[in-house]
Amino acid sequence: MSVETVGAQAAPTFRKWIDSDKALAAICVIVPLIGLFLFFIYPMIIVFIRSITTADGTYGLANYAEILASKGFWRATQHSLVMGGTTTILSVFLGFIIALGLHRCAFPGKTLIRVAIVLPLIAPSLVQALGLIFILGRNGLISQFSGVEMEIYGFWGLVIANTLYGLPQAVMIISAALVLLDARIYEAADVLGSSPLRQFRDLTLPAVTFALLSASFVVFTITITDFGNAAVIGGDYSVLATEIYSQVIGQRNFNMGAVVGIMLLIPTILSYYIERQAMKRQKTQKATNIHSYVPRFQAIRDVPMGILNFLIAALILSVIGIVIYASFVKLWPYNFDFTLKHYNITLAGGYSSLWMTIWISIGAAVAGTLAVFTLAIGLRHTPEMIAQPVRILAAMPAAVPGMVLGLAYILTFNSTATPLYLLYGTATLIAVINFYHYHTQAYLTVMTGFRQFPSELAEAGSALGAGIGRISTTIIAPFVAPMLVSVFFFLFMRSMVTLSAVVFLTTPQLTVAAVTIMRLDDAGLTSQAAAFSTAVMAVVGLALLGMKGAVSLLAKRNSRKSGS
Amino acid sequence: MNYWTKSAMALAMAVGVASPLAAGEITVYSALEEEEIAAYVAAAEAAMPDVEINVLRLSTGKLGARILAEADNPQHDLIWGWAVTAMMDPQVLDLLEPYKAAGSEALANQFRDANDRWFAATGYLGAFCVNTARLEKKGLPMPTSWADLQNPAFKGEVLMPDPNSSGTGYLHVNAVLQTKGENAGWELLKSVDPNMAQYTSSGSKPCKAARAGEYTVGISLAFTAMKSIEDGYPLAMVFPKGGVGYELEASGLMASSDNKADAQRFLDWTLSAEALELYGQYKALITVPGVETSAAAAEAGLPSDIRRILFPVDFVKSANRQSKVKAEWKDRFGR
Repeated sequence: MSVETVGAQAAPTFRKWIDSDKALAAICVIVPLIGLFLFFIYPMIIVFIRSITTADGTYGLANYAEILASKGFWRATQHSLVMGGTTTILSVFLGFIIALGLHRCAFPGKTLIRVAIVLPLIAPSLVQALGLIFILGRNGLISQFSGVEMEIYGFWGLVIANTLYGLPQAVMIISAALVLLDARIYEAADVLGSSPLRQFRDLTLPAVTFALLSASFVVFTITITDFGNAAVIGGDYSVLATEIYSQVIGQRNFNMGAVVGIMLLIPTILSYYIERQAMKRQKTQKATNIHSYVPRFQAIRDVPMGILNFLIAALILSVIGIVIYASFVKLWPYNFDFTLKHYNITLAGGYSSLWMTIWISIGAAVAGTLAVFTLAIGLRHTPEMIAQPVRILAAMPAAVPGMVLGLAYILTFNSTATPLYLLYGTATLIAVINFYHYHTQAYLTVMTGFRQFPSELAEAGSALGAGIGRISTTIIAPFVAPMLVSVFFFLFMRSMVTLSAVVFLTTPQLTVAAVTIMRLDDAGLTSQAAAFSTAVMAVVGLALLGMKGAVSLLAKRNSRKSGS
Repeated sequence: MNYWTKSAMALAMAVGVASPLAAGEITVYSALEEEEIAAYVAAAEAAMPDVEINVLRLSTGKLGARILAEADNPQHDLIWGWAVTAMMDPQVLDLLEPYKAAGSEALANQFRDANDRWFAATGYLGAFCVNTARLEKKGLPMPTSWADLQNPAFKGEVLMPDPNSSGTGYLHVNAVLQTKGENAGWELLKSVDPNMAQYTSSGSKPCKAARAGEYTVGISLAFTAMKSIEDGYPLAMVFPKGGVGYELEASGLMASSDNKADAQRFLDWTLSAEALELYGQYKALITVPGVETSAAAAEAGLPSDIRRILFPVDFVKSANRQSKVKAEWKDRFGR
């Protein structure tokens, strides 16, 4: 803003816009880029240096040679790829069904689906793992009722757990494409008498290809880097994330873990590259004017889609619900008498961490949403030569396992050599790591929205003399507002419960809810950990309701303003 | 203007939180259990009212990663109650400053460093967690030793932590190798391997899975077993005959500490009569001669004369050969 006013005083009217626009576009790219450099590239350079630091302190590729020569690494790589691929296909397929159900079909009870789909994002990882074991475990409900012991631990357990984790993120990205499709094209198709199947194939599918590929990329990446699910339900199915854990935590050898961490970037960069190549061949259809699509009931489409949607929602609800239920019984699975005793939590700091976590999460969500929005705006006005590497960079952070990122932050910021040391041990740094840990998902969701943006609108705006600043706030922002809102909520929810990276950044004075849950579970108090998780989910649920209310109030006031 | 005032304020706040701790405050990194930390810290703060004790509690493995990642600029004044096999990692020993805590001279040689960089007043034991309900349902005999687990009837019913990921896993492997001798030890582990359902990455998970009835035997920690029995799970704690694995909880002073006087006072306190009395309530293994073990431990089936079931673990040997043992284990049993 200040740049614009400075420009206004210094230059004649015509040049004013040109100059300030260029400057503003540059700022939009540069500020988020500085963030990516400081909080992602710089720590990752340190990780890379550690990966080439050999046991005797010299630099070389000996660590890489050692890892590449071990058969455990290749087994884990193969496992990771097979498991990641299976999970991706499942998550994106189911996520597409949910997104279509929510935005393209007409059936009652969508609120329930929306609630269910958000649950895996606000459930601490312990909850999902416990829920699956309570239901599908060897002594779980299904085994007990059927009398046949299920063997959940291993490949399928891991695939199911990761699919649950990936599903909401796939839905978020795919929805970003569906919600903005112009209704009038479909109305025209209806008039021309084309079948729903044909409309799906010729209109919907081409429009969501980018979103499907982005969702696949995200799910694949977060699956191969996730350690939590692998540890609790993966059994002996070793994956790359367990290899890293074994090196870094088990053998206190960060350098070797760093090698695997760096190599995890390879499949990610590769799959991102494949996705971009596929997109080049894809012509995108862009709406010139947006009328939101209101589906009318069609039995042939909506009955089966409704049933599928509710089945998926029921699975999610039962996994989370059973843990909530277990937190109210005396001794799962032996004594089902009701009790509130598990909510009387005094160890591991009690409930105090909960409130701090809320502030950290709001900070991460506000700053993060702003950062990806400005980055996306800036990229529209950046020459392709610069924009291309920036896009890859912005999509990369998900490829770094939380454990590696967390320890990299210690190595980077716990050094008095730079003023960044001021951040070490602060809540700010925890908010920062939460944002960059989930940068990929936030960025890709906003980009999916931007792809649908009819640039004619912006051109018209600029022909009428509006600068980037005005166009962004008055034309683009309202258009992508649904994406910004979902990115905000996504960052908020994940920041509330993510553990893998922040566990290394907490201090005696500063801890977060996820760490409290881990400490309770470490102390053998699994029921208390479940109770605390339930409390976290309740608080997040209330916060979401409050914020959603505020957003819709704001939207109403805005529409009234523009209407008058 | 506004922007600058705001950032200045943010900066000041950040400095306030991140600045080195003033005298009268110490930061302690510990892997002791939550419950005991709360009790000990309350007592220690009462004994030293002028010192504020800030404790960061993490599991042994995560604490190690954190300590080493912070090694260039340590944030803590001392390490308190951390696995001695981890403490003897040369990377960690380099961070410690020799200090002869008052009362450490009473400890036997095996419980303190020859150069006074660490001492261990307490320790923890490995144990089998046996789910009695599941044992009965499956019609299995109660295992009393590692050899009993060779029985093919236990196929898919036993869990143990992976020594490459978990200190508890190494504790058990080391116990078998030291009591049986190298060759017989590896043979025994090999004959039990087919019955192992999983090698887990967490040390307490085998016990938690056993108490939930997912598996029959979890090779794990006595602490988790005792806690579970206290909570009412159908669980029996078994100390395998012929030698129980155990680990010492070592403490030491950080050379980087800027409040060594208070840190040393705290280390002295951990060997004080008051502390020893508290250990009696919580610890199964106390290295200070003449201290009784806890009532809870006795109730859970811990023998009153604990040293009778322990073999003399050579911790120097154990720490020195751990990379070799872990590599060989991975080669033989890695899945």
